[in-house]
Amino acid sequence: MDFYLGLAQIVGVHTLLGLSAYCVLLTGQVSLAQAGFFAIGAYVAAMLTVLAGWHIAPAIAAASFVAGAIACAIGFPALRVKGLMLVVATLAFGEAVRLFFFNFDYQVARGEVKIGPAGGEGFRQIRFFPEHGWSTLDVLMFIWLFVALVMAALWWMDRSRAGAVLRAVGEDEVAAQSAGINVTAVKVAAMTVGGFIAGLGGGIFAHYTAHIEHAQFGVALATFAIAYPILGGLSSVFGTLIAVIFVQGFLIEGLRFLGDWRNLLFGALILLAMNVRPRGLIDAATIAAVKRMRIRNREPGNARTQGAE
Amino acid sequence: MSYLDVIDTLQSIADGVLFGATYSLLGIGFTLVFGVMHKINLSYAAASIGAAYASLIVLSVVKAPAIFIFLLAGLAGGIIGGVIYVVCFRFIPQANPLATLMSTVGALLLIDEIIVHATVGIPVPYPALFSDVIVNAGPFTLRGDLMFMFALGCLSMLLLLGLLYRTKLGLATRAVSQQPAAAQLCGISIPRVNGLTFVITGVVGGIAGAMIGAAIGVLSPLLSLPLTTKGLIVTVIGGLGSIPGAIIAGLLVGGFENLFQYFRGVTERDLYLMLLLFAFLVFRPGGIFSPAAGRD
Repeated sequence: MDFYLGLAQIVGVHTLLGLSAYCVLLTGQVSLAQAGFFAIGAYVAAMLTVLAGWHIAPAIAAASFVAGAIACAIGFPALRVKGLMLVVATLAFGEAVRLFFFNFDYQVARGEVKIGPAGGEGFRQIRFFPEHGWSTLDVLMFIWLFVALVMAALWWMDRSRAGAVLRAVGEDEVAAQSAGINVTAVKVAAMTVGGFIAGLGGGIFAHYTAHIEHAQFGVALATFAIAYPILGGLSSVFGTLIAVIFVQGFLIEGLRFLGDWRNLLFGALILLAMNVRPRGLIDAATIAAVKRMRIRNREPGNARTQGAE
Repeated sequence: MSYLDVIDTLQSIADGVLFGATYSLLGIGFTLVFGVMHKINLSYAAASIGAAYASLIVLSVVKAPAIFIFLLAGLAGGIIGGVIYVVCFRFIPQANPLATLMSTVGALLLIDEIIVHATVGIPVPYPALFSDVIVNAGPFTLRGDLMFMFALGCLSMLLLLGLLYRTKLGLATRAVSQQPAAAQLCGISIPRVNGLTFVITGVVGGIAGAMIGAAIGVLSPLLSLPLTTKGLIVTVIGGLGSIPGAIIAGLLVGGFENLFQYFRGVTERDLYLMLLLFAFLVFRPGGIFSPAAGRD
């Protein structure tokens, strides 16, 4: 049972990471900086709970705001460039953050032992959950509370004018600009929200893994962050969730019985998925089909109630 | 700074520039594919390492002089490049850049895992050529293997430039990169040119992979992600689609890398390289030789 709870925790945190990239991808920008914001969130939240003795909730909130602010600051210069240049710029930012934490040594003597991030060795003493007696289930509920909040917020945003503006910029920048949309502001806003969500995910990640180090936040994680929304499709927030379940649940955990061959299949299945469904697992056509089905199911019901009258 | 420090600094820069020839080749590969298709092939560095592995396997079966390893690596790289074009680009709609980005990531993971699977995760020693030759030039020493690598890199770049500017295929490639619609109207088959571009960049990448193996002395799948990053940095510093830019930027990145390593140590080296990239993005976003205008 604990295995499945642990898996659900991983899925939750990776969903937050994927949703942070989803925000940025909606505006048509590919950002490989999400792992960097995730790392910032993780280190800030962990330092606040371990070194400053904060409760986890304000620590995570503070970490999100810090990551969001840095994302906003990075957004202005980085979004001057587009396409491949932006991919490389954000990749470089993510790597710079990772290398910063690789060299970041800030240890405080607490009694006999020194605590705090110790450069390449990482940050070991993150024990908020065991110290406060949270069970695995409590942690799981805590994580999914945030996942649900973020998903609901993004789903609502998608149906509001803000979502239409984001998608307009993503579809055709020139057309959006001529319709009076401030493209730079929209992109920076999306980047900021993405950084905020990534920071939130990072803060939670630091506390449930209990040990963070620079190697966890490398190019691989940045690639996973954009892989979820692209694999799942950008038409709906649920695409990202389904892609995370597909990758973490099926490709990584579900295929464990294959042993060594699992890793081989991993890349091949991503390749196959992109060839078969280039617009993601849940694309616009799927959503339209689901809507049609709901309407068709409603129609006979309506007819019956009318007949009863 | 004493006289000896100056010598050591210059020595490390010289070594870096010689090694930078491999970065130049990788940068050319990224830049060529981008120029022709306006797409990124993230699996390129992994494919190059894969080609170097393939050349080792062939050489272990067939007895041949060690020099052939570079030819074999180029050949293997060409084949892998063609396969990558078919599985990652051919059947995915052109108008969807995200899908091909993701499919090349899939190919990157697949190649890395094939290597891990075939070698049981153990780094493989790679034969170096002329490693016993050391040239003393005044206070400096130049490693023979690095010099041979540099010469080979320059030779491949010259051949590539000849191919691009002196042959019909090169003309077609440049036509497609300038104006795909017009090129198609002139009777150029775009899928064929795209596929051949992948084969050519694959050959270049395979040679680069073999050079990296020979310079470092071992091959490991752990090399592919850092090399991808370095190759992309070279591409951006050199300017997207600019081959001379990629060549200069590769040597520049190699030199600066060793310079930073000499002064700040290996852990902080790449941090300063990223800052160098940011400086370029802010002050010269078009790269060293920025193309005229209108490029994304």
